[in-house]
Amino acid sequence: MNNLIYIFLQALTILMLAPLVNGLIRKMKAFIQKRQGASIFQMYYDLYKLVRKGSVVSEVSSWIFKATPYIFFASALVAAMLVPVSTIILPKHIPGDFIVLVSVLGLGRFFMMLAALDTASTFGGMGSSREAMVSTLIEPTILVSLFTIGLISQSTSLSQIMLTVQGAGFPLAHPVYIMVFLALLIVIIAESARIPIDDPSTHLELTMIHEAMILEYSGRHLALMEYGAAIKQLVFMTLLVNVLVPHDQIIAFTGFLALFLSLLIYFFKILILTGIIALIEINTVKFRLFSIPNMAAFAFILSFLGILQYFILGGSNV
Amino acid sequence: MFDFLLETLSVLILLSAFALMANKRISSYIRTFRIQSISIALAAGIMGIQSSQAEGRFDFLIVCLLIVALKVVYIPHLLHKTYANVKYKVEKDFILNIPIMIIICCGLVLFSYFALASIEGLGQGLLNLQFVNSVSVIWIGLFFMISRKKAIGQIIGFLVIENGLYIAAMLSTNGMPLVVDLGIFLDMLTAVMIMGLMVFRINDKFDSIDIDKLNHLKG
Repeated sequence: MNNLIYIFLQALTILMLAPLVNGLIRKMKAFIQKRQGASIFQMYYDLYKLVRKGSVVSEVSSWIFKATPYIFFASALVAAMLVPVSTIILPKHIPGDFIVLVSVLGLGRFFMMLAALDTASTFGGMGSSREAMVSTLIEPTILVSLFTIGLISQSTSLSQIMLTVQGAGFPLAHPVYIMVFLALLIVIIAESARIPIDDPSTHLELTMIHEAMILEYSGRHLALMEYGAAIKQLVFMTLLVNVLVPHDQIIAFTGFLALFLSLLIYFFKILILTGIIALIEINTVKFRLFSIPNMAAFAFILSFLGILQYFILGGSNV
Repeated sequence: MFDFLLETLSVLILLSAFALMANKRISSYIRTFRIQSISIALAAGIMGIQSSQAEGRFDFLIVCLLIVALKVVYIPHLLHKTYANVKYKVEKDFILNIPIMIIICCGLVLFSYFALASIEGLGQGLLNLQFVNSVSVIWIGLFFMISRKKAIGQIIGFLVIENGLYIAAMLSTNGMPLVVDLGIFLDMLTAVMIMGLMVFRINDKFDSIDIDKLNHLKG
């Protein structure tokens, strides 16, 4: 029973919230730029419109092109199942940990890159090679920073990590958590194709990475790809807010109301993080492609310093 | 609680040294230096509150105000003025590329961890583990100086070394006499003013602040 509730709750929250987060970031950016901006529900309308349309598939493409949207969406959804939005309801047996999370997301990305190469358009190849570069540079950061927290809580399971961190007082005041927080913030920006790395709102051939790969898609395939990307972004944001700023320890009671309150606090944290991301997007310009390794090296060193601080300060008093 | 905050601030100071290493623009050098100085001023302020509660000393609070006036306001302003007068805004040629330099910096941090691990009594009493982070900042400042070829980078490197030395002294001694603090600040102020003036002169004479060109001065 617990498992069923967990799956239902997790899927519903992530699926409902993911397009809203995109809308919120756009709205906040518009607000800071003193524009009216699109409605925060714009992405739902877009997805609805795309789902109703048929999709055009190139004659020369293989099965990979048609299968990729489903694989990508499924991988994002599986990843979403591994990162609990609330620790009040947990399944009895949690299959998979953060290593599975990274590899499942890697699978989706691998197929996305293949599909972009499949149609043999120049943009697709360019996008794939850039995506391969960015993901190679960013993936070590994710793993090392998660291993740091995993070392602290003696477990690789994300829900176990969340439960341990909840017992640690106010965790962001600790050096290790600050390092990991900043490293994961850079990871979110890189993984969700945000401005210093990639520009999600333009189709300029010099700059685009993610857009270049999904350029050939249309109709419901495009809808799945965009929905999948939004889910992936929300998964990383959930990871950041629930692991490093846990909230379930402040809810003293149990039951349905506690769950509701927990989800409400979760939504509030996501809202704050959205604001931070929008501020970063407003305040920076897009980097030159060859400056991305600098930022990635900085992110990696942040996570590595986190692990160093853990060993130097002695694992016991974290 | 205070130890917690000081630990966090010492990590932030180390982080800002890394951020400085990852930067290319001279205006962001100055901004990062300012952030680092704000963290140091906060650390001094926290130690000031601590010591004024425990022992009734107020010299730390004076030091905190001095740091804010000097390192957060005046010196960055001076550097901005120097920066406005030279035509180099972005540093293009380094001795190595930035990711490798950042990884070397990480090696320096490791080195200082190992070097300081042999000190007797580290982690007990006043000589705490934040000391290690502060010494790493000194190393990174030194490396920053040799990795940049433009004169403003050298000034910033010098200031970062000074910041590292100062925070190391402050965190490990629980406060130097006020006279020593004043002496250090005066020294640093004159050094920065003289160096700023030198940058002006070099820029005038050679039309560039590339320090490699100083080699041509040899007869």
